Amino acid sequence: MKNRDITLHINGEEYRLNVAVNRTLLDVLRDELGMTETKYGCGTGECGACTVLVEDKAVNSCLTLAATMDGKRITTVAGLADFGRLDHIQQAFVDEAAIQCGYCTPGMVMKTASLLAQNPDPSEAEIRHALEGNICRCTGYEKIVKAVRKAAETMPGRAAAVEPCKEVVQ
Amino acid sequence: MSEQAIVGTNAPRVDVRDKVTGQAQYAADVRLPGMLYGKVVRCWEHAHARVKRLDLSAAAASPGVVRVLGPKDVTPKRYNSSVLDLMVSESMHDMLGDIDDQPIFTEHVKFQGDAICGIIARSEEAAERAAAKVVVEYEPLPVYLTAEAAKAPGAVQFTPEKPGNRAFQLPEAMFPNNALGGGDVEAAMREADIVVEDAFYVPKQKQCQMEPHAYVAKVDSGGRLTCWTSSQMPKLVQRKLAKLFDLPMNLVKIVPTVIGGGFGTRLGMISEPQACAMALAVPGHPVKLQTLREEDWVISPSRHPGKYWMRIGFKRDGSPLACDARFENYKGGYYLDASGTAFTAGAWLGGMYRFPALRYRGESYFTNQGLTGAYRGYGNPQTNFVLEQLIDRACAGLGADPVEWRKKWHKGVGDDGWCPGVTYPSCALDECLDRGAAAIGWTEKRRKYARQTGTLRRGVGVAVMNHTSGAMPMLLEHTACTVKLNEDATAEILFACSDMGQGSHTALKQIAAETLGFPFEHVQLSGGTSDVAGFDIGAHASRTIYVGGAAVKKACEEVRRQLCERASLQLGVPAEQLDIRDKRIFVQADPARGIDAEAITRAGVYHFVDPATGEPGGVPGQIQGYVSFFAPHNSPPFGASFAEVEVDTETGEVRVLELVNAHDIGRAINPAAVEGQLEGGIQQGLGFVLSEEICYDADGRVQNNSFTDYKMFGPEDMPKITTILVEDADPIGPFGAKSVGESGLVSPVGAVANAIFHAIGIQFTEAPITPEKVLKGIRETGVRDYGSIGGGR
Amino acid sequence: MSSRILPDFDLLLPQSIPDAVELLSAHRDRITVMAGGTDVMVAMKFAQSPAQLPDYVMSLENVPGLAYVLFDPERGLRIGAKATVADLLAQSEVKRHYRALWHAAQTFATGQVRNTATVLGNLLRASPAGDCSCAIYAIGGVVVLHGTSGRREVDIDDFWLSYGVTARRPDELAVELILPLPAAGSRSAFKRMTRTSEDLAKLNVAVRLEMSGNTCVDARLAMGCVAPTPLRLTRTEALLKGRELTAEVLQRVAASVPWEISPIDDKRSTAEYRKQVSGVLLKRAIQEACGAA
Ligand SMILES: Cc1cc2nc3c(=O)[nH]c(=O)nc-3n(C[C@H](O)[C@H](O)[C@H](O)COP(=O)(O)OP(=O)(O)OC[C@H]3O[C@@H](n4cnc5c(N)ncnc54)[C@H](O)[C@@H]3O)c2cc1C
Ligand code: FES
Ligand code: FES
Repeated sequence: MKNRDITLHINGEEYRLNVAVNRTLLDVLRDELGMTETKYGCGTGECGACTVLVEDKAVNSCLTLAATMDGKRITTVAGLADFGRLDHIQQAFVDEAAIQCGYCTPGMVMKTASLLAQNPDPSEAEIRHALEGNICRCTGYEKIVKAVRKAAETMPGRAAAVEPCKEVVQ
Repeated sequence: MSEQAIVGTNAPRVDVRDKVTGQAQYAADVRLPGMLYGKVVRCWEHAHARVKRLDLSAAAASPGVVRVLGPKDVTPKRYNSSVLDLMVSESMHDMLGDIDDQPIFTEHVKFQGDAICGIIARSEEAAERAAAKVVVEYEPLPVYLTAEAAKAPGAVQFTPEKPGNRAFQLPEAMFPNNALGGGDVEAAMREADIVVEDAFYVPKQKQCQMEPHAYVAKVDSGGRLTCWTSSQMPKLVQRKLAKLFDLPMNLVKIVPTVIGGGFGTRLGMISEPQACAMALAVPGHPVKLQTLREEDWVISPSRHPGKYWMRIGFKRDGSPLACDARFENYKGGYYLDASGTAFTAGAWLGGMYRFPALRYRGESYFTNQGLTGAYRGYGNPQTNFVLEQLIDRACAGLGADPVEWRKKWHKGVGDDGWCPGVTYPSCALDECLDRGAAAIGWTEKRRKYARQTGTLRRGVGVAVMNHTSGAMPMLLEHTACTVKLNEDATAEILFACSDMGQGSHTALKQIAAETLGFPFEHVQLSGGTSDVAGFDIGAHASRTIYVGGAAVKKACEEVRRQLCERASLQLGVPAEQLDIRDKRIFVQADPARGIDAEAITRAGVYHFVDPATGEPGGVPGQIQGYVSFFAPHNSPPFGASFAEVEVDTETGEVRVLELVNAHDIGRAINPAAVEGQLEGGIQQGLGFVLSEEICYDADGRVQNNSFTDYKMFGPEDMPKITTILVEDADPIGPFGAKSVGESGLVSPVGAVANAIFHAIGIQFTEAPITPEKVLKGIRETGVRDYGSIGGGR
Repeated sequence: MSSRILPDFDLLLPQSIPDAVELLSAHRDRITVMAGGTDVMVAMKFAQSPAQLPDYVMSLENVPGLAYVLFDPERGLRIGAKATVADLLAQSEVKRHYRALWHAAQTFATGQVRNTATVLGNLLRASPAGDCSCAIYAIGGVVVLHGTSGRREVDIDDFWLSYGVTARRPDELAVELILPLPAAGSRSAFKRMTRTSEDLAKLNVAVRLEMSGNTCVDARLAMGCVAPTPLRLTRTEALLKGRELTAEVLQRVAASVPWEISPIDDKRSTAEYRKQVSGVLLKRAIQEACGAA
């Protein structure tokens, strides 16, 4: 089977596609669907520019075959903003000046979304560990780490006082 | 002019909403109807070879292929992908000789990745499949990876223009004895009580901008060639492409795309010639050429590696007498900007300390390594690694405190900067050193770590640097800027210099708003395509704010002058006595008296005669300001870095615990952006000194052209960072600003090396200082307390 | 073909283990199993010659019921073929009972890769640098394989044959990994050296010690990046067994390691350096295991 019919649920919309089985999810998003918000940076799983959420987990779309994603829910950075209103993660990246050239930003934001879904109150060490799969060559990570922290603090529905995280992951 | 205080605030970046939502369009995101895909077939097997046979027939027959292009199917003209030739005068050209040595497709492979031919197909995949079917037979040639090998007698000559494969040495006509500096070095050295000397090796570092290079090119029915590119220098690329393809400049249009990081790699062209050659082969059809990461790695120029020897003599009281240095760098297979780094490495050296005698010789040799060219810092990290370590070696011998010694002997206001005759108008390096030392706890830690026991040893180190704000007086410093006022008194600015992500367009907008007396939100600034924007040499040499900002300011001042003159007619007060704030022009002595700018701009555009009076309302004409600006001076920034490291003496691993970067930037137009530059610089500086180096095998094939094999500091590797902005307004820069774009990465290099010296008493002459080298050093000489070295404290 | 474009292949998506075994036996060496794909995808993108490329890729995506990490206080830990490194980290008993494996999983790759890479894939890749492989080697265990002739178990000690080659037969699917229940007094630790935090190891080591007070009753030591496959340091183990862990014993143990390994120069480090630090790293792992009782 060199082509396969699949259905993807991308950013809340359903897409029925016939894809060549050797195409990566990154390629299908960018070239076939024109969703260029997800970036190619290396193709080898190192840079994280291609990070999207599959269900709620961050994965490298450059290492994922689109044909194996049938029925999956996929979120890209374009799926976060609510018709022009930035979500809290995007807003935190803007507020903390965590964006320079911006090429790493979509992947950073998606990685942050998956981190905060699992751990709504990460320590600085946990944030740094979580971001190891996203290379940024512009910022030295300083302001990105602050932005993730701010995103955690401004998460909608966040309890007034979350217990500070005790366990530090090295 | 009264300050509105837009300058100096963290005004929100103009491009971030697009970037954070994924709407920003980088070159690879450009999609046009009917687009075809190009692929450059490259030589991956050899770093030096002649093409004996090229057979494109199977590739041409491959499904989806539209055209195949060999060397004979494109212009035989050669080009130089760098742009220095456009920035120097005719007489300098004569000195450099013919430096157009790059063909679009080559028959003499000079480095791994050299372009052999091109494929145009209906999809990227079809193009790649066809590329695999190209048959090339090579005749391998000897591979030269170092200057020593390339200059050996009998070596294959890279170009007849450059005998001995010496691409460049400081020309005799400008630098007697091919050396930069002055004074009698040999005589001074004889007077010296202490001489420190060593031969160093500085590594080949990759910019690793996150966006791989990509282009779209198209020829329209009128024969106009349009190229979408993320070059840092759109206007110079327009000129270069026009020259290469024999087109008048009006038939070449550059559309600058959002830039996903540059750091020098986008200085000039990379694959624009190939992309445009393809577009010219299929007029009417856009061709997209997207490089792969592994391809970008080998074809885009990297930092110049090479041998760097230095000797410095001192009096026993610590006063420096002379510095003698030689940097022999390893170019790649083509010239590019061979004159650049070979010169600037010495220029930064000359600009740092008050050496009564200085002799610096810089040379570039062709090799079969990948290309070298501009990389943020441009020769400065190389010099920092060498100079700052030797200074600390001398301080240890002299019993001098490295901070105090630097405070005493660094150059300052009134001294010659990196170019003789261009003096430093400002210098706050002492304050950088004082505040940085306090932040890291210098005095206490220097004392504490001078005697240690145990496996883990700590050290603190310092290094300083000077850089540049633009390239005046060496290179052309020209920027045009147009400011036009709309009828509702909002401003639109056209300024061709790119924002590579530093936030320069935001800061320029702040400068404009401040100068005009308009709110930030009522100013628009765009780079524009090459057919509408005026001349600009591009974003390099840390010039965008210092030179570009001055141009924007001057053009805005012109607009302001026109506004005030028209207001003066209505208010009956001389223009000089007026001021503007929040778009209201008012009398300085009587702020209640004034007129809204909008009343003037509206009347200027919608100019009618009042039917009742028969009188025209206001002064006719849309207000525009235009400047073609040449930088009058250069106000270099200074910086001091302090590092604290911990060395594991059993494994040689070095952990950077803290890095303090104190920078004299004159004035921060947008402090958050300035911090961002310095923080990002630290990540690259730490890479240079500790982890990053492109390696080749004996056949010149790159060993680590991926993020899997080439390692940069990640978020967990980064130390605690403290950024100190020392703001001592420069008398010349716009609002007192000097540059900050490149300098942040420079002095962390020396500071880390010196901190390692302080921790274990060993200096390393080869960067990056890997655990393998540290452990070898420890095994050879043993860990030594800094306190036990030649009277150090 | 490149970091962006994959070569041609056919995708097979079996719906069950027997389906998968059937496909394997039908296509044998022309098929590649893909679990998380983090190794397979990169290998296909950069295959040097068509000979290295499979005609068929068999994804386990639709095979149900293999994504488990189950701890049974009687029998030990069972890790299904589709359990990812992240799944392992989410199982709290792993951290308690299999410290070395937990630590290997924790430092492993990147968050994104941990979300897709499987623990079994790490074993089956048979790379000498595999982090989970190293930890599992020290802990011990069996790999369960299903083939046309039924189910069989292969002890991890017999699993890796040479670089990239395992005891798995072409018609077999690895279905799960079973780790033994740690004995009382058992403790383990994992350590690795990398150039930067996110990197493949230049050297990794895992230890499992059965301690009685300060005396080592039994030891399993595994080291990676020092031979064509992960390596058991059996001679060094012998120096530990029955000994009290004094500074002197540790010194002897550390000194023995370089004699047991045969590292090479590669992109990440040198043979010389690996020899020089191998003993130090092992010593530290032992100290950590004992400290982290
Ligand atoms: C960016 C990056 C970083 C990495 N960092 C690390 C690291 O730090 N440490 C480390 O150890 N590894 C690392 N890896 C390597 C890789 O992630 C691991 O080896 C991973 O565990 C492989 O699992 P997978 O499920 O992705 O395997 P796959 O790629 O799907 O398969 C790997 C191999 O196992 C075979 N296989 C898989 N499952 C089965 C099965 N059930 N039956 C038979 N054969 C099977 C496949 O055919 C293939 O040969 C890294 C990889 C990337 C891309
Ligand atoms: S493009 Fe996928 S990780 Fe870099
Ligand atoms: S902002 Fe440029 S790579 Fe992160």
